[in-house]
Amino acid sequence: MFEEPFRFVEAIANRREYIENELATGSPITALAYDRGIVLFTMGRDRQKIFEVYDRIALGALGHPGDIERLRMLAIELASTEGFTRSAADVSLRRLVNYSLSPGLKAAFEQIYGPPYLARLLFAELGASPSTDQFVRVDFDGAIHSNGNPALKTRPGFGVLSGTKRSETRMNAFLTQEHRSDLSLTEAVRVARDAWVVGHLALIAKDEFNPDAPFPTATEIHAAQTTVLTQAVFEAALLDRTRPDGPAYRTLDAAELAGLQG
Amino acid sequence: MPRPASESVAGAMLGFRDFPELLQARGLLPVASPAVGGANQPTQTQATTILAFKFAGGVLVAGDRRATSGNVMVYDRADKVIEIDDHSLMAIAGSPAAAWEMARVLSHSFQFYRRTQLQEMTVSAKVRALSKLLRDNFGLAMQGVGAVVPIFATFDAAHPFPGGKLFFYDVMGAQFEAADYATTGSGSPAMRGVLYHENTYGRAPLRSLDRDSAIGLALRALDTAAESDTATGGLDPRGKIFPVIKLVTGAGVISVADSDMTRMLPTRNE
Repeated sequence: MFEEPFRFVEAIANRREYIENELATGSPITALAYDRGIVLFTMGRDRQKIFEVYDRIALGALGHPGDIERLRMLAIELASTEGFTRSAADVSLRRLVNYSLSPGLKAAFEQIYGPPYLARLLFAELGASPSTDQFVRVDFDGAIHSNGNPALKTRPGFGVLSGTKRSETRMNAFLTQEHRSDLSLTEAVRVARDAWVVGHLALIAKDEFNPDAPFPTATEIHAAQTTVLTQAVFEAALLDRTRPDGPAYRTLDAAELAGLQG
Repeated sequence: MPRPASESVAGAMLGFRDFPELLQARGLLPVASPAVGGANQPTQTQATTILAFKFAGGVLVAGDRRATSGNVMVYDRADKVIEIDDHSLMAIAGSPAAAWEMARVLSHSFQFYRRTQLQEMTVSAKVRALSKLLRDNFGLAMQGVGAVVPIFATFDAAHPFPGGKLFFYDVMGAQFEAADYATTGSGSPAMRGVLYHENTYGRAPLRSLDRDSAIGLALRALDTAAESDTATGGLDPRGKIFPVIKLVTGAGVISVADSDMTRMLPTRNE
């Protein structure tokens, strides 16, 4: 096989297609800034998809639970040992993703005799101020999509993750239009939920993709959400900037979520 | 790929439940070599006074601020009552180097467990984790340099009758649950006397004291300890150095502000 470069390219392409098919049903996750921090939101059926990594880093993940678990564990171990040997302030999402996760994911993806990771990750890191909040998506092949590039003209205060490119594109466009970083928590959860529905409708759409199609109306979003909620529940967590130090991560329990829905 | 250090071969259990184990795997946890010889006696390097007792609102833990080395006063603003997590305190007497490192390992352990296992560690597991750290430190303690005798206070919200819990340890890691109060450090004999007397013959048992009376008692007791123990820094309101008093309550750990202590400062008979 190795004397035939073409077969390597073909094998990689097959592998990409296989993984993308496996991930294509993954339920969307959004992370977005609100006036007091960052909220992560998804709707799920049977397993937890939003996790705490370190004091100011949270993770949303979709894919195979076994692979998510290995990546989650790795991220927690790296962050914890760094925080222990140096200090909590030395734990950085940029370093975690760029130097550890991405190279490893790429290697696993391209070593075609070994198993790849069937997972996509969305990290959110709470900065000292909203202008340094980071939202980083890491794909199964190690590709990184970050809002943290200093060369960016605008720095979006949100990140999205979904099963397909189409769904992510739609959610991105929707949030570019709807999201402001001074939203209250209630408004932020509503925007995150609407973005989730937009992503979900794009996931299940069978027609030709038209990126300029109008977004569903409030009534359509509500109807879609009601259908989904017959089988799924909200899941949300916060990175709370008002906590003075220590862990900023907190999950929203069912009662709080019920109060925020509207 | 930097795999989780815990992941050895396919099919093996994934993930450490134990943070010290992870540190060991990465070579980050210094382990004390066992004492050579055997004739060494652990020296008492517990120059401090820590007292803790249950009051109506939870557990009060107080410590003086003096750090000594032999008969030299090294530091007069040491914080010996350390927050381990939202609802737990560890107060230390003994070698500061070993004790602060222990507190650091402990607080990271609790966080690490919650993050990886997606559940809170139980109170008995937390108490046991400290016990294990003490046992691992016993080599150093036997060499006479690293003995630590801590007190651990926490709030058990998962218990059928939620409330404050108080534990004290010996240098080998044996854990004892205190019913009402616990003390450690060189000033502790005087403290035990004061607390026993207050609890048994005082105006009210310790567990019925309100917040302010509890703080007042802690200040009086520390002053009493400092009266006879050179290694205990007592009250020095002129120098604006107050003891550290922290409360473990159902709402979490609360640090008592200096201004509160000024208000509660006991009046002395002239």
